[in-house]
This record gives sequence, C-alpha cells and structure tokens, in this order.
Amino acid sequence: MRILRFVGRRLLQLIPVLLGVVVLTFLLVRVLPGDPIRSILGPNATEADADAARARFGLDQPLWKQFLDYLGGLVSGDFGTSIQSGAPVTGEMALRLGPTLELVFLAVTIAVLLAVRLGIWSARRADRFGDHSVRIFALLGNSVPEFWLGLVLILAGYAALGWFPAPSGRVDPDTDLTPLTGADLIDALITGNGPAVSSAAAHLVLPVLTLVIGVLAPLLRSVRASALEVLRSEAYAAAAAHGLPERTLLRGYLRRATLVRLPSLAALVFGTALGSTVLVEYVFSWQGFGQWALRGLLYRDYPVVQASVLIIAFAYVLVFLIADVVHAWLDPRVKI
Amino acid sequence: MAPPNISRRGLLQLGGSVALLMTTGACAAGSKDNPDAGASAGPAAGTLRIAVSSYLSSWDQDFVGFDLTALMLFKNVYPYMIDYGVTSAGDSQILDTANITPTFAESFEPDATQKVWTLKLRKGVKFASGNEMKAADVKWSKDRAFAAQANVAGVYRTIGLTKPEQVVVVDDYTVEFRQEFPSALTRQIQAISLYVFDSAEAKKHATEADPWAKEWFAKNAPTGGYFNVTKANQGQEIELSANTGYPGPDGAKTSTIRLSVVPAAANQRLQLQAGDIDIALGITGQDLQDLKKAEGVKVLSAASNNQVAIQMSVTTAPFDDVNVRKALAYAVPYEQIVKNVYGGDARPTKSLVPLDMPGYSESGYPYTYDLDKAKQALAASGKTAVSSELVFEADNAEQQKIAVQVQAEAAKAGITLKLTPLDPATLGERRTRKSIPLQITTGQLWVNDVEYMLATSFVKGAALNYSNYTNPEIEQIYTKAHTTVDETARRQLWTQVQSILAADVPWVVICQPNFNLPVREKVAGWVQPMDGLARLRYLSASA
Repeated sequence: MRILRFVGRRLLQLIPVLLGVVVLTFLLVRVLPGDPIRSILGPNATEADADAARARFGLDQPLWKQFLDYLGGLVSGDFGTSIQSGAPVTGEMALRLGPTLELVFLAVTIAVLLAVRLGIWSARRADRFGDHSVRIFALLGNSVPEFWLGLVLILAGYAALGWFPAPSGRVDPDTDLTPLTGADLIDALITGNGPAVSSAAAHLVLPVLTLVIGVLAPLLRSVRASALEVLRSEAYAAAAAHGLPERTLLRGYLRRATLVRLPSLAALVFGTALGSTVLVEYVFSWQGFGQWALRGLLYRDYPVVQASVLIIAFAYVLVFLIADVVHAWLDPRVKI
Repeated sequence: MAPPNISRRGLLQLGGSVALLMTTGACAAGSKDNPDAGASAGPAAGTLRIAVSSYLSSWDQDFVGFDLTALMLFKNVYPYMIDYGVTSAGDSQILDTANITPTFAESFEPDATQKVWTLKLRKGVKFASGNEMKAADVKWSKDRAFAAQANVAGVYRTIGLTKPEQVVVVDDYTVEFRQEFPSALTRQIQAISLYVFDSAEAKKHATEADPWAKEWFAKNAPTGGYFNVTKANQGQEIELSANTGYPGPDGAKTSTIRLSVVPAAANQRLQLQAGDIDIALGITGQDLQDLKKAEGVKVLSAASNNQVAIQMSVTTAPFDDVNVRKALAYAVPYEQIVKNVYGGDARPTKSLVPLDMPGYSESGYPYTYDLDKAKQALAASGKTAVSSELVFEADNAEQQKIAVQVQAEAAKAGITLKLTPLDPATLGERRTRKSIPLQITTGQLWVNDVEYMLATSFVKGAALNYSNYTNPEIEQIYTKAHTTVDETARRQLWTQVQSILAADVPWVVICQPNFNLPVREKVAGWVQPMDGLARLRYLSASA
C-alpha cells in the first residue's frame, strides 16, 4: 500500500516536470536557427509559397496560439503533423518507438544480468587473473565507440563469418510480419510467426551486443565495488566466521546488499543506451526512434522534435521511478 | 572466500542467456540460405535489390516529400504523361532532354501560337484501383498542385501557368493547358510536372478539413506509374512491381525492385560485395574507388551535369567587389581538386552554364588556377588581404575536402577563409536570408536549359541565387527568353549570358564530377538521368 501511495505521488509529480519539458522544448526548438518550411519547398518556390506552407502547419499564428494549440493536442494524444512527411506524429512515433525500446530494454537487461554475475564473481576473486580480465574487458568496453564497435561486429559477424543477416532492417520483409507494437520480436511472438521470430532475433543480436558492450562497463565496475565493500564488511565477516553455508552467504548477505546501488545506476545507463541508439540505429539500418528524432532535429521538424524530447523525458522519469521502487524493495533502510 | 563451483555455475547461466539470443539469431541467419527454413526465401527471378540512404519522407509529391529518395521514387511510381527519351553519350546511355515523348499520354502538342497545349490521354489506362485514367484525373491533379503552392505550382510559373482555370477539360480524354505566353520550356517543364493522381480513389479519403487528401497521400503511395508499390515497410523497405498495364514505350524491364534503407555507406559496400544488394545508391569517395577492384562488382560511370561551385555573395563584403571575386576565381586549385577529391573522375568546366546544356560556351571565361593573377586581382580591389567564412554542408565529405584545398590556396593569394560546416536547417535558413558570403554548392538542374538556370539561379529573388546576384542585362535577357521559342535566337541569348556571368563572376565553377554507380556485374541498363533521379524501368539483371 505504501509503495502504491509512493508511486501515485511520484506520478503526480510527473505533471509539472513534463509541463516544464513541454514549454522548454517548444521554445528552444524555435530559437534554433533553421527554417523547417524551406526544406519541403522546391527551388522555384516564392516567399508567398513559403507563407502558404507556414499557414498549413499553423506556423503563421502567434507563438502563444501555436503553444495553446500544441498543448490542446497533447491532451487528446495528438502530437501534431510532421512538417517533413505531412503525416501525424503520433502514428510515426508509434512505429519508431517500439523497435528502439525493444533494443534498449534487451541490451540493458542483458547488461544488468551480466554485470551482476560478473561483478560479484570478479569481486570474490579480487586481484586474481579472472578479476583482472573482467576489469580490462570493462575498460575496453568503456573505451570503444559504439559506431566503430558496430562496424567491427558487422565485419566479423556478417561479412567474414556469415552468421548474421545483412545489417539492413529489423526483420526479413518476406516473413510478412504484422506490426502491432513495432517491436518486431514481440510482434512475431504475439502473432506466432515463427520465421519472423528467428529473423527478428537474428537481426537483434549484433545491435544488442554493441549496446551491451557499450553500457556494461559502468554497471560492472559498480557491482564489483559494492561487492568488495560487502565482502570486507564486519557483518559479512561475522556471518562467514559463524560458518554459514556459502549459498546463504552469497544469497543472503552478498548479493542483496551488493544490488542496492544498482537500480539507480541501471536507470542512468538506460538513458545512455537510449542516446547511443542514434548511432547504433544508423550503423545497423535500424530506423528506430533515434534516427527519426535525429532527422527531425536536423530539419527542424518542430512537432517531431517536441514529441521525441517529451517521450525521452517521460521514459527517464518512469525508469527512475521504477529504480526507486526497486531500490526501496532491496534496501530495508529506505523509507518510501 | 570465493568458492569456484558457484561462480562456474553462475557463469554458465549467464552465458546461457546470452547464447539463447545468439543461437536463435544465428539459426535464423543460417536459414537464409535454406529456402525450406522459410525465414527468407530470397529474391525471385527478375528481382533487383537496391540500397538507398534514407526512407522517403512522404508519398505526396505536391505538398511535401522534398528529399532525394522521395523525388527518385516519384519518377517511378507516379504516372507521368510525357517523359524524356534515351540517347547515347560515349559508352553510356543518358536521358535525352531534347527528345520528350508521350508515355501514359497519347500526345501532347501545342497550337500554332504555342500557348495552348493539348494533352490527349490513351483510352483504357488504369490505376491499381481499376479506375480508368481520364481528363478529370488530370484536372483534379493540377488543381491540387496549384492549391499546394509548392513544387509544381512554382515550376509552372516559368511557362505561364499560374491558375487552375488555365487547365481545361475538353472531353473525357482531352485536356488543354492555356499558358499566358508561349515558352520553349513547356515540354521540359511538363515532363517533370505532368503526373496524375487517381482522383476517384483520392476523393474517398478527402474530408472537409482535408479536401486534397493530404494525410492519406502522405502515407499511401500513388498508383498507375511504371511501377506500383506492393509493400512499404515504413523506414525499412519498399517493394515495387512493374505495372503491366503501362501502355507506352520503355516499360519496366524488371518485374520486382526492392529498395532497402541502408544509411551507412560502409554497409552498402559490404552488402554489395556479399551480393545481398545489386545496386548501391549511396556510395561515394574511397568506398567507390575500392569497389572498382572488388570481385563481382562493377562501377558504372557516366557524364553528369552535377555542378560543383563556390557561390560568392555579391552584396556582402569582401565579395561585393568584383576584383575580389576574380581573385578567388584565380586562386581555386581546379586540377588539384579534380585529382585529389574526385580521383580524376570529373570534368573541368569553363562557364557558369553546365557542360552538356544546350548553348554551353567557353568563350570569354578566363579563370584558371593562377596565384599571380589572383594577387593582381586582389591588388586591383585596393586590398592586400581579405577574410571571409567559407560555408559547406556538415555531412558532405567531398565539400569538406574542397573547402580545405581552397582555403590553403586562397591563403597564398591573401584571402583568409574560415571553414564553417552547417547542418541542413541552418544552411537553409542562412541561404534564405542570403547571409552567407561564400559557400560551396553541389547540384544539378531538373531542366537542362539556360532559361531555367536563370530562373532558378541568376535572376533577382531566384531561390538558388544564394549570391544575391542581379544584373539588369541578365533580367532583360531572361524576360526576352520567356517568349523566344526559336532555337537559334535562344542560343544567341545564351552566349550573351555566359559573357556577362564570366565578367561578373558571381560563382566559381569548380568542375562537374562524373556519376558513379557501383552495381553487381549482372546489372544492366543504367540510364544516366540528367536530373539526378534514377529511372528504374530501364534496369535489368541477367540470370
């Protein structure tokens, strides 16, 4: 019950935060130099043509009126019309969000699992060969740019070994997958489309691996440091001295105490991964949310930029809320 | 303190979870070569796979959709009533801008005054919906174009079509275009503008708030062109099928064309080498050079009218002084750029009119790389040193290389340049404000004619006139050219134009790089488009 109240309170706090994001984004995107209208007109267009196009998108209205219209649309779930495509932003975003969230959730989940396992394993072998290997791996993962890593994985996994499909899209179009959520693997599972399941999984491996290697390092180092701290604590030493079984020591004393710091860090890493998808999507021809938002920004497609910033902000707040709840569940000292 | 048995099991569990995803993926990838697996049966005979750098922004040619992929697709999926023919140029086939013939239309001819042009439609031509293409479709389509006040409406002004009332339905298969004045450009302008929507289908999706069905056309491909869109997987792949009902000459040679979006040039290269794509429409620079030696791949090369130039603002210091403009024109290392940036695969040019454009003349164009003359010209301006920013497109590696080489040589002549890469929106805005003193431009004109070039680039207020250049003589010649349809008289005007532009030198024309297209060896039939937009119907693949 207490947790529900906490979640409810935090969700209410979301409203002013998101309102602030809406106002700031609306103003900032218009402060940036660049005219979104000229990019959709031909070389023979006159200023009168440009004015007509501005009127079509409501950009001839006073700023306050444009903002009120935008806000009114948001209330009814209408993010506006893309200047570049002329299509509703809500529909375009729905198509692009699913693939990116699938990519990021899979990558962060795998990275967290790996970090927990390897971090604790490494801490229990502190300053031995295995520990050094893990630390060097973490250092390398942190140092390699995702763009370059993605290309290397494509060279190895697709061009040299031929194990993975061409980095061209997210699923083989011949599988005739019916899009539901936009997340191809999930859609394939929901619709029971076997060939699409294996094709979507095959297309996921290299981009997920690229992201996992990129975000694993900070998680790994944090888990290892926490585990070392617990292993060197008086409580753990006392438990070990009393001859408790290894299994109990690991599960009851080491793992839970080690994981206390992880939720907040995982939430941060989620944000990093979301940002990294711009390059990963480019390298793997993924055409997800990152590429869509970047194109919107490059061409100053106001409704697209506004919607993408709002969604990213919402995702951040939501992930941190989940992290706080998990933290409270793991650490009895935290009161919510 | 660290029992090895537990850690080993932990590691195994860990590896297992990762391996599960890897194995599923690897199995699926492996299934690609096995038709029984069902994941990817591979292309059927008569299928070409083309990689493009981006997905089109919209299917609506009137209101939005102004990116290269969209414009190229439009040429292949919209039914254009008339189109360019094909001619040979050396070893390559190119679109013949002097020979425009009816395609979906039966004829398109002027009356004696050359002001009224009559379009006669073929009977029995159908859209994918089964609706017959009739005069009412042409009228609705042109009314829509005028209402959009964008691409077609803009280009129609050059031939004196400014109002929907000038497009008149005579009968079910006849439409008249009543121009305000006769124009030598009519056929060329209509070749790029006279496309037709299925108006009966469109009206089903129109609403009171959206009478032109903009929202529907933004997401739904038009039908009835050389190809119909059979599948469009947003952001990823578009499948085109040849329109078997096309009634004119030069129908599609390949039954299915699949365009997949592969933004990274390095990936296009890998997929071309592996045979997963047949044509790569996004590879330039070193990747292109390397592919010339790759097995199973050939690089088609064709002369292009793509022009690389530096536009100088004639209203911004220091380039408001013609002698400073001349100094830069002498300081540009033309041959060095052709060699270092394009590997020698570009043609030097000595006129502001592009090579291969009717009327091209080198007479009176003095500019070659000569630092002594550059210094003399600068001295003639009364200055010993000037400085400026040199703007180029941020994501354009070729422009960046050109900028660096121009900067180095210009500095020797006393012109200091600060290199400024700009993103598309900022560049667009500054171009509109005409606030860029010096900028590199790359592009080709949609209509291969000097009158069109003047209309878009050199008359007052023209959209591509980033130099802010005006000259009363040029304005007079442009006005006169409007109604001059005699070819000899037009050529005389173009000679005058080139002399004036050489003297005023608002642009430094660097070169015209050849068009290079890496394809699998089995691909044939490439026809070089003079507007840069690929006509896919000529392409074929041997078995």
